[in-house]
Amino acid sequence: MQNAKDTFYEILRGRLAALNPQRTIVVRGTVRPGLLVDENELLTSVDLPDCFRLDWGELQVDGEGALPRVTMQCVLAYETAGTALNGGMDRGRLLAAMDEELQAAVRMCPQFAAKMNYAGLANGTAAVSMSTNIWWGDSVFGKTVVKDDRLARTATVAVMSYQETGEL
Amino acid sequence: MAEIAKDGVLRLAETQLRVAGGRMVLLRLAVPAVPGDDAEQLGLATPEFQDRPFGPVVFERADSITTLLVSAETVQALVGSLAYDSADVLFETAVGLAIDGVLYQIVDSTASQASGEAYCYRLTLRRPMR
Repeated sequence: MQNAKDTFYEILRGRLAALNPQRTIVVRGTVRPGLLVDENELLTSVDLPDCFRLDWGELQVDGEGALPRVTMQCVLAYETAGTALNGGMDRGRLLAAMDEELQAAVRMCPQFAAKMNYAGLANGTAAVSMSTNIWWGDSVFGKTVVKDDRLARTATVAVMSYQETGEL
Repeated sequence: MAEIAKDGVLRLAETQLRVAGGRMVLLRLAVPAVPGDDAEQLGLATPEFQDRPFGPVVFERADSITTLLVSAETVQALVGSLAYDSADVLFETAVGLAIDGVLYQIVDSTASQASGEAYCYRLTLRRPMR
């Protein structure tokens, strides 16, 4: 499952960065594309605005086939206060722009990719392609939530993969 | 004249914290991330940490939520030497405060001001779950 999670993050990050290279975040002094995996970052009490924060939600395993089929809910949270110099009056438009970017990145063809094993990166070796693919559905958008001066939304994407033998 | 008054307030805050039994703790900071390092972004590699002496500090109360006072002089020295944009950025990006071997998370920071200048910071800390 971890390989499917890692692969989906890498694919989505690349697509979002290609769609809008200006959407970046600064994490510990380094500029990155505007997508981060919450569980891989240091704990913080601050929700970064104007970027996508990825969490993994519900998990289902279907053991009927030759390989267990795993369905994971990818939860993407994002929020914006708009442009400060505009008094935040464009926050609705900026949230809509983030909706569109996410929608476009998720729906971009193909909606599948070869599952990769990134464990080697810890030792300086390259990621390895695995035998099966991951694939995913369309984004399901939640309602707009007002968080103080910010507008926030959560979208979910169902990400599916086959659990290969011996895989984490 | 205003500069002298500002220095006076800063020193007064520092002195009062020392007199009130202020002690040193450690501010834990993560070293800057490696650009383009997927291993860190995927949680495969953890960043290195550095502990900076931080104090004198005084605890306002100790409970599940702990509040701590630290002088602006101490904070400004760190912000300047580590090239942070502001005290807020320093506290938001810090991993936490190591106090007697326990790492507290910084939940909130508020500056107390006199004549528009911060002389003391109040940090709200959260003790880790056991």
